[in-house]
Amino acid sequence: MDPKVDGQIQTEWGWLVAIYLFLGGVGGGAYTIAAINGFMGEGLALSTRVGLWIGFPALLIGSLFLLADLGSPARAILAGMKPGSSWIARGFWIITVFMILALLHLALYLYTDIGGAVLAVIAGAGIVFAVLTMAYTGILLGASKGIPFWRTGVVPVVFVVSAVVTGHFTIMLGMTLFGEAAAMGSSLRTMALEAAVLVALEVLVIAFFLQAAFKLPDQRESAERILRRRSFVVGYFILGLAVPLVLMLVVYGSLAQDGAAISLPLVAVGALLGLVGGLILRQSVLVCGALPTLNIAGFQFRRVARPKQRKPSMGMLPPQ
Amino acid sequence: MTASQLEATAKSLRETTMPRWGMVIDLKRCYGCYACVMACKVANHTPPGVFWSRILKGEAGSFPNTVRQALPVLCMHCDEPSCMEVCPTGATQQTDEGIVIVEQDKCMGCKYCIMACPYGARYSVEKWESYFPEGLPLSPYEEFAKQAWEEKSGCGVATKCDFCRDRIAEGREPACVEACPADARIFGDLSDPNSEVSILIKRHRGEVLHPELGNKPKVYYLAPR
Repeated sequence: MDPKVDGQIQTEWGWLVAIYLFLGGVGGGAYTIAAINGFMGEGLALSTRVGLWIGFPALLIGSLFLLADLGSPARAILAGMKPGSSWIARGFWIITVFMILALLHLALYLYTDIGGAVLAVIAGAGIVFAVLTMAYTGILLGASKGIPFWRTGVVPVVFVVSAVVTGHFTIMLGMTLFGEAAAMGSSLRTMALEAAVLVALEVLVIAFFLQAAFKLPDQRESAERILRRRSFVVGYFILGLAVPLVLMLVVYGSLAQDGAAISLPLVAVGALLGLVGGLILRQSVLVCGALPTLNIAGFQFRRVARPKQRKPSMGMLPPQ
Repeated sequence: MTASQLEATAKSLRETTMPRWGMVIDLKRCYGCYACVMACKVANHTPPGVFWSRILKGEAGSFPNTVRQALPVLCMHCDEPSCMEVCPTGATQQTDEGIVIVEQDKCMGCKYCIMACPYGARYSVEKWESYFPEGLPLSPYEEFAKQAWEEKSGCGVATKCDFCRDRIAEGREPACVEACPADARIFGDLSDPNSEVSILIKRHRGEVLHPELGNKPKVYYLAPR
């Protein structure tokens, strides 16, 4: 049996949890950028509006995906009764408070003339809880003793950086869909540069994460698995990081020239690929979570996960 | 006496009078016959794909001088269980006798405890599926087991070995211990220095799996060589 290819991976958390973590990151990242841009002034008003619109719905939909993954969703409220007991319980309250703040901020921004101090206080508190939400998606995995690949301090950093990147791309995508091209020249140029810098940072963080994982035997198996996945290498590394990086630099370069036309499809494609990459990253980290080998007296025992394989159907039975 | 002092006194009294159940598995004796796996299935009516008691097979050495060894694995009923630490609803609890249990009516099925257990001792099933090919109805035996399982644990929640606590309450040993034809499993009170398990652990330097994680498991292994 080849230890590199046997079925020693967790099979309980899959796409539903990956989408939950992804949307949690998108919501937190988009809100943070929107709230910070809100402090910057009128020049970034469109990105602020788009980002505020994204924060609350992303969290709400993400939470529904987590509920769908629960075995007994009717008891989910019990997680709120013991807020200090676990990262899921803490996350319950972090996300709840963040959703309330994000919704309040959006409502005040859109429908009232309240500005200045009140909005700044709400935005400041919102940013704190948005950052906590982004970090929580990584800490949730980092607190899992059963999966050595996740049990590192780097995972929360990876997830926070990726959350900011995906939040940023969501705002850019929203701007291209709902904004007027003529009105967003300079802000889009700034955002393209920011996106390029953030993606470059994510490349560095991911490289550090994977090389650190290669150093420990139990984590190494996960690192090897993730690098063997075509969806990770092609979908995340190439299409989700490299292509958006190049496209954002191209957009930034083209907008640097006076009077240049904005290529909205280019921005939209780059942002969309970045978002798909963020989702693939989370799904890959989840499904490549290898279980620790059990060792005793020089023996290595592989703990084979429960394969979710189809049972034979009636048609496969021998004739009676 | 304050309330906290009273509680501390009560706790120490409980600890001195209550047994602290644990298990010793002698790997020299175990030949991997799976009798413990089957006995657990029969006693606890676990559904397909759920094995509270399992056997792993390992190898050591290099060809041609290789040795195969069986490793029986179950919930380690840790003193510091990481599954309990991460449980958001308090469904995972530790009894006064040190047995880690899941209260099914509190579990929301988030599976976080499954990710937190380094020994792979926890399971969760969405629904009871037949052992037989799709399309066939449940056999009468499966219907009985399904009903018993729903009463004991159920679908959509985390499940795990409970050291057969209902059998312990009747003065019997866990099913896996009783079924072992090689007497490789010994069950007893770790808090009693004169119990067989305590003596075996001391005499043969019993080891636990992944001691570096700090879970303090209560299932000890005696080295195979």
